[in-house]
Parts: sequence; C-alpha cells; structure tokens
Amino acid sequence: MTVLFNKGRFNSGLISAQQSSIIAILTILLVLSVLFAGANGSFDLSLLAWFKGNSTDIQNIVMSEIRIPRVILSALVGSSLGMSGAALQGLFRNPLADPGLIGVSAGAALGAAIIIVISPAALTDSFLGPFLLPLAGISGSATVICLLYLLTKGFGYQGVTYMLLVGIAVNAITGVAIGLLTYISSDAELRTLTFWTMGSFGGVTWRLLMPAIILILCAMVYMAPAYRKLDLLQLGEIEASRLGVDVGKLKFRIIISSAAAVGASVALSGMIGFVGLVIPHLTRLLGGVNHNYLIPGSAILGAAIMVCADLASRMLIQPAELPVGLITSAIGSPFFLWLIFRIKKNDY
Amino acid sequence: MTIRATSINAEIDGVPLLSNMSIEIVPGEVLALVGPNGAGKSTLLNVLSGDLNPVQGSVFYNERNISQLDVQERAHYRSVMSQALPMVFDFSVKDIVEMGWLHSGHHFYSDRFQSAIQQIVDQCNISSLINRRFNTLSGGEHKRVHFARALLQLWKHEDSLESKYLMLDEPLANLDIRHELGLLSVIREAAASGIGVLIVLHDLNLAAKFADKVALLHQGKIVCLGVPTDVLTTKFLTSVYGVPINVKSNPLTISYY
Repeated sequence: MTVLFNKGRFNSGLISAQQSSIIAILTILLVLSVLFAGANGSFDLSLLAWFKGNSTDIQNIVMSEIRIPRVILSALVGSSLGMSGAALQGLFRNPLADPGLIGVSAGAALGAAIIIVISPAALTDSFLGPFLLPLAGISGSATVICLLYLLTKGFGYQGVTYMLLVGIAVNAITGVAIGLLTYISSDAELRTLTFWTMGSFGGVTWRLLMPAIILILCAMVYMAPAYRKLDLLQLGEIEASRLGVDVGKLKFRIIISSAAAVGASVALSGMIGFVGLVIPHLTRLLGGVNHNYLIPGSAILGAAIMVCADLASRMLIQPAELPVGLITSAIGSPFFLWLIFRIKKNDY
Repeated sequence: MTIRATSINAEIDGVPLLSNMSIEIVPGEVLALVGPNGAGKSTLLNVLSGDLNPVQGSVFYNERNISQLDVQERAHYRSVMSQALPMVFDFSVKDIVEMGWLHSGHHFYSDRFQSAIQQIVDQCNISSLINRRFNTLSGGEHKRVHFARALLQLWKHEDSLESKYLMLDEPLANLDIRHELGLLSVIREAAASGIGVLIVLHDLNLAAKFADKVALLHQGKIVCLGVPTDVLTTKFLTSVYGVPINVKSNPLTISYY
C-alpha cells in the first residue's frame, strides 16, 4: 500500500492535489501580472488612485478605455492560444501542433482580412458589426482545421512531421490570399492588415472586446467535457472508442472550441506565434500530461505570460511599441528548435 | 447471457476474411482462437468487439444486437487488449491503468475506485511499475500495464449481475515465461469470477492447458470448435498448419519439431 501511494492516490483522470496547487499558484501569478500590467505603461497611472477615485479625468479614460481592455484582451488571447495549443496537441497526438504552425491562426487572419477589405462598412455600422470580425476569424480557422482533417485522413496519426508540412502549405496558401488582399486594399485597410501579420493588442475597444470575450468563454466551457477523453485518445482512436469514447464527437468538440478560441483571438490581436506551442509544454513540465490539468493550466499560464509579454512590448522602447508577436516569437522559436532536437532524439 | 455471433461474413477492403462464422463467448469460460497466420483470428476478434462491422450476420451482447449499442455501452460490456500505439506524451503507468476506469467523475463509484484499482494492480503484479513513466517500460511491461487497464475496465459493482467479457489479441507476445504464466493465471481468475474470455493464442500447448474451449480457424472458417482434446488433434492440426504435428494426450501435448 505505502509503496503504491507515495506519489499520491489514484484519482481516475481527475487532477491530483499537487496539480491543483500548481493551478492555484498559476492563478495567483496571473492576478499579479494583470495588476502589474494595469499599473504600468507609457502613460503614468496609479492603480490605487484609480481604485480610490483620486485620478484625473484623462487618467480615468486611459485606464478604463485603453489599458484595462488591453490587459483583458492580452489575457484572453494568451489563454485561448494556450488552451487550443494543448487541445490540438492532444487531438493530433503531436507535440509540435500549434495553432500558428499548422495554419489555423493564418486561416483566422485571412477570414478577418477578407471582411476588412471586402466590407469595411459592415464592421462599423451594423448592429452585428463587433461580432462580424471574430466570426470571420472563426470561420477562417474552422476552414483550416477542416482542411487539415481531410489532409490527415481524419487526424490519423501519420508522424510528427507530416502535420508540419501540411501547416507550411496551408500557411503559404493563406499568405498568398492575404497578399492579394493587401494588393487591392486601400491605405487605411492596409494599416489594419499589416497589424495581423505582426500581432498587437493596441487599439482595442470595449465594443470589439465584448463579443470576443463571450465567444472565447463559450469555447472554454464547451471544451471542458473533452479533457479526460483526450487522455484516452492518446491510446489511439480504436482504443479510445473501445473505452467508450465517441471519437467523432470528441474531434468535433475540439475542432469547434479550438477554432472559436483561436479565431476570435486572432481577429482582435493578429497572429501571435509560438504561444500555443510553448505554453502547453511548460505546463506539462510543471505538473503532468493529463488534460484535466493541462488545458486549464495552459489557459492560465498562457494568460499570465501574454499579459507580461504585452507589458514588455509597451515598456521596452516606450513611448513606441514593439509588436507583441515579435516578443513571443523571439522566445518561442528557439524553444521550437530545442523541441525538434529533443523529439528527434526520442525517435519519433 | 453471452456474446454470440451468428453466420458472420466479414471483409476488409473487399477481401473476404471470414465466411459464415458462428461463435459464442460464455461467461466463466476461456475460449481460445488458434490457427495459422491469416486464418482470421484477429478479424473475428474485431467483429466480436464491434470494431469491424460484418458484411452479413450479427453480433449480440447479452442478447442485444451490437448495432443498437453505442460505444459507451459496448465499453461496459467488454474490454479489448491488442497491439497498442506508442504514447506520444509522458503518461505515468498509473495514468494508463486508470484510463480503464469507466466511472470517472461518478461520485457513487469513486469510493470503490481505490480498492478496485489496488486489487487489479496486485493481481497483475505491476505495483513495482505503477509510479514509473510508461514510455520507459519494455514491450512486455507495456503489455502487462495494458492488460491491467483492460481488466479494470470490466470492474462491476458487486450487486450487478451483468456478464462482462475480456478480448485479448495475442496478449503473450513479448512476455517472458514467468509473466506469461502469471497473465494466464490472472485470465483464469477472471474467468472464475464470471468473465467470459476470448483469447487469440499462437502457442497450442498453452491453449491446450489454459482454454476451456478452442476454435481452430483456417482460411476464414472455423474448422473445429470444442474442448481442447477434441480440437487439438493430429489430424486437424496437421491439415491446417501443413506441417507434421504430433499430439499426445494426458497431458495434452503438441509437438512439431
């Protein structure tokens, strides 16, 4: 008995006590980074004074209309990418799956770009305007995931590299399409389009943010029942179905929720690379591989890291800004190389 | 209450693999499928487990047609152990065994979980492996862990009278002699507790010793089905395997070299 349980009790796929404390610590980190990011920026603001109501009108406006939406958006996008990265890696049984690398983010960017160039008026005027951009992003990312589904014969396991090659092709195709749109776009549209390729949290408004918050929260709730089934899927599709998992329904749930989270995020912030790849691996290293822990953990850690990355992008060369995608890629791409190296050693 | 297949015809990619097979797995009995490579043993197992739909014929789990059972209901009736894929992520052995627990998150059953899994870990003699990373184990150890998982899947409440079934596709591959015998004795214990067992075996002597019934398959047909002494005879085996095979009785011993 004692030998068996010295690393914690059996818990049938639920999270262990150790994992719950890791999640708690990550949550505290997230709260701290949100407060810190709220208190700092190129415009001098005091969080405490704002809470007490002692700040000037202009400070109030900067805080409530610029800084708070921006911090919320960065947290939201970080958690979407972390969560979808973890879920897609599980679904594809591939440690290198990442919404950016396999083309899902590019699909979302294309969807959003099409709306911006083809009917810019609809975005500002109609009642559904704020929803239009994230929905276009979601359609784009869903289209890419469906395409991947066809190309991998239903996400069958075909080795780690095949998926990446497909991703290169998908990224190239969307690159062409975005390039064409850039060519026919007006100056104002061009500015918005450029921002997609770099990724930024600047310029977000509550009007655009609210629909994205709703869609991403729905995606998170919808994904939750799939966590343990993703564990079982790691045994292979046939084994999972022998254990009572309806594999078709599971795939549908992951596709829809990942596409919604990534699509809504990219529509507002542009393509921010490598977060979906790096965050789940960090989360695994911290506490384990079971998805009941991994997906919530990745969502929280992703949010915390993205809030910090955005803070860095605002602070490093102020009053100017570094694109946040540049920062995440600078950290993420060496990590990607290290991962490839490690996987090759493990003989995948 | 059995798993019953009636006049099954099955094919994969248009190639007929089973013709007019009828077979029954009875609770408390070990039924061994033997036969040369390509005889249709694994195909038959896949039809019985519901993973392959027959072209003709039906499979019944406890008198219910399998086509009317969803994957979750099937999982409660039977567990299957076959050649598993490698794990991509670094699960622990404990995680893998726990995957066999169908009642995860079900409060009523969670009290029973600790004792159920403890019993199976002891029974399968894997307590020394349980805290290791699954990917660091050998092929034979992987088999033993997957076997424990398959056994856990068949756990049932002591009041339940429902019959459950265990299907094993060459479970002994990669096992050393000690663990081979250990696994077979656990299979016998499972049968004694009322589980119906279907096992694909290559070793005819083990089939003779451990099975209650043997089905000898050849070219997609059942040549003979019955108790080992009736099926494993010089005449049948020599004609099916195409090499001279010598069978001695008391104890039933098959020699071919």
